[in-house]
Amino acid sequence: MTLNRRTFLKDAAFLVAGMGLNVGWTPRFAEALELLATGRAPLLWLQGLSCSGCSVSLINSEAPGPAALMTRYLSLYFHQTLSAATGESAVDAVNRAIESGDYLLAVEGAVPVGMPAACRIGHEPYSDLLLRAARRAKAVLAVGTCASFGGIPAAPPSPTGSIGSDVFLRQQGVETACVNLPGCPAHPAWVVASIVHLLKKGIPTLDEHRRPLQIYGKLLHDQCQNFALYQKKEFSTRQGEAGCLFKLGCQGVITHADCPMRGWNGGSSWCVKVNAPCVGCTRPEFSRDPGYAFYRLNEQGNEGGADA
Amino acid sequence: MGKVTIDPVTRVEGHLRVSTETKGGTIHQARVAGEMYRGFEQILAGRDPLDAPVITQRICGVCPVSHAIASSRCVENALELPPPLSGKLLRNLILGANFLQSHILHFYQLSALDFLNIEGILSLKTRDPQLQELKGWVVQELDSNRILPAAPFLPRLKGDYPADLSWTQNLLSHYLQALDMRRKAHSMIALLGWKVPHVASIVPGGVTCTPTYGELEAFRGHLYILRRFIESVYLPDVMATAKQFPDYTRLGTGLRRFLAFGAFPEAEGDWLPSGTVDSRSFSSLREGEIREETAYSWYVDAPEQETSLPDPEKEGAYSWIKAPRYGGKACEVGPLARLIVAYHAGQPSVKEMVDDCMNRLRLNHSALKSVFGRHLARALEAQLLARRMEVWLDQIDPETSHVAEYVPRSQGSGSGLIEAPRGALGHWITIAEGRIATYQCMVPSTWNFSPMGGRKDPGPVESALLGTPVARDSQGLEAARVVRSFDPCIACAVH
Repeated sequence: MTLNRRTFLKDAAFLVAGMGLNVGWTPRFAEALELLATGRAPLLWLQGLSCSGCSVSLINSEAPGPAALMTRYLSLYFHQTLSAATGESAVDAVNRAIESGDYLLAVEGAVPVGMPAACRIGHEPYSDLLLRAARRAKAVLAVGTCASFGGIPAAPPSPTGSIGSDVFLRQQGVETACVNLPGCPAHPAWVVASIVHLLKKGIPTLDEHRRPLQIYGKLLHDQCQNFALYQKKEFSTRQGEAGCLFKLGCQGVITHADCPMRGWNGGSSWCVKVNAPCVGCTRPEFSRDPGYAFYRLNEQGNEGGADA
Repeated sequence: MGKVTIDPVTRVEGHLRVSTETKGGTIHQARVAGEMYRGFEQILAGRDPLDAPVITQRICGVCPVSHAIASSRCVENALELPPPLSGKLLRNLILGANFLQSHILHFYQLSALDFLNIEGILSLKTRDPQLQELKGWVVQELDSNRILPAAPFLPRLKGDYPADLSWTQNLLSHYLQALDMRRKAHSMIALLGWKVPHVASIVPGGVTCTPTYGELEAFRGHLYILRRFIESVYLPDVMATAKQFPDYTRLGTGLRRFLAFGAFPEAEGDWLPSGTVDSRSFSSLREGEIREETAYSWYVDAPEQETSLPDPEKEGAYSWIKAPRYGGKACEVGPLARLIVAYHAGQPSVKEMVDDCMNRLRLNHSALKSVFGRHLARALEAQLLARRMEVWLDQIDPETSHVAEYVPRSQGSGSGLIEAPRGALGHWITIAEGRIATYQCMVPSTWNFSPMGGRKDPGPVESALLGTPVARDSQGLEAARVVRSFDPCIACAVH
């Protein structure tokens, strides 16, 4: 295939702008995209305790689009939801990939360390497969909150004893570097940009939770379209009402991500824009405290309710 | 006697294992197993009831909208919080858009590679720039010394892929187009004020978004393009593929027992009716007939209504999926079940469309109960739905409130029965002292991919696999085609 340099430059410019980098990075990103395209950077994608939401999110990628991602950008050795290979040939593809090594390993879903039988692929517990694959990987990309921190499967009482991939790999003595891309799901641009970053510049600058600072460096609240309303104390007190959602339970004040600036599904929207409080899905603590409701409507002096 | 095990079954949502035994060239025993468990029902206990839609839609990234709505409806029923009509219609539009994305994704990205000769692209002479690029890529890949050239499209299972080049070219080019179309359907959801997967504004009582006329018209613009794609590409592709595989309009019949919970409420009631059809006779739905069995599932057997505790060591069990039964019997759910229930309930638009399609294919109606019957049902439903969504769109008044005022109550119980893209979905909740006491989900793939029940009666997919002829050197392609026609979603099935 004749690869068009201009396409790479165009897509690189989009990525660089999306990550808030100086335009001077564009040529280097274009080069990285080209590297991806010529297949020197294969990707192996494995799923543990996941809902496939991060995979579905990834194919919502706008630029590059999903078809380009699969052919021009990624050499996708295996992906459970997309691969033609099935059954034995799928297991064989995974094993051949692992044997050859030097791929990026993207993982989606939590690791059920307390109950390895809670997730099996080709009859092998996912936790064992993850260990095998991570040992031979160039780097691990934990896509989504489940893969990063355990997510909902790790919420109490977590019958499967689930944890995030990075913690699991460290516990098992695997030294491959891991980058966390939490979000429920992860935004496709976060995934694409991080893959490019890993290939071109290596591990991006990370925060204490191993999240790239470029994406998770700012508090949502500080970038929120309702920030002025918050300052004017114009709060929404019931569902669907305009106003800052802080008093309904919005977690934008403790959540780090670029959703307000980036927007979802083609940049058209994000949670707060539709009067829905941020549920803190990029936080390590997402969904983990059953006492901390997403909507605090039952805590505003209404306890006991009308029929109590 | 031969044994073929497909593990993992790929191009489905989640972790699925299918094992078959063949005798005299056909499958005579089949077992399907869900291989992933998270414990959502236990995780929900003790939480605020308003957490339920946020948590339960994360059961599945392919059909989160259905869970958000079923969950909101069970809380609404428990708390006596009926949403206004415009809230219901906006939910219909969001759910409808997700049906369209799910059905399109299923046929092209998940199923087409079972039928399509991807290497056929090498002999294509085409001017389509996207296809030329794809061809160039495959050539380059096959010439490279990569360990897995042209992954994820190769390797694939051995089998009888048709040599028809023009059909191959169409399907390949539409595989690429479908990627954009399903993404467009997701943008429609976001346009009305969401992000997806995992929408933010479906809440007990309605929806929190307040779309403007501009957003509604942008939604209509996308819908028009999708409708055109469904009518001129998707449905014709399914029909053309069915013609390439006449055997599969007979194979994969299954139980012939269908169940639908009804969906898409309008002012006059559900647009798609609820009910059951058993050997052509229609009965209305009786919720009390629904039970879940766990004889062959990895759970401690417990009395009804109690949350099941996992037991991965359980003797004799072989799946994380439970066995839902209606009146003690396994039932098929999904687009085909919805179509057959609506047909027998006398829904005129469904009747007309199905009759027309089967006439054009020169097939008897019994051919609906087959692998391609299910693919056709999905495409026909998509066409019908895309047209109906325009009617709902016209009925939305942006000036009104789309959500009922929340009035807290500390106890109650309720069910939320709806239709997800893959079939009948039910959520049940009991609330005590203002918190969730128990929560239960029975999901479409729980019905279809159920293991044997208490009476050793096989689940719908296990039954549908019986009698499927397989090649001597089969790697499981024949079984995979039957299994994928049910559009497995295993994260849903187990949760």
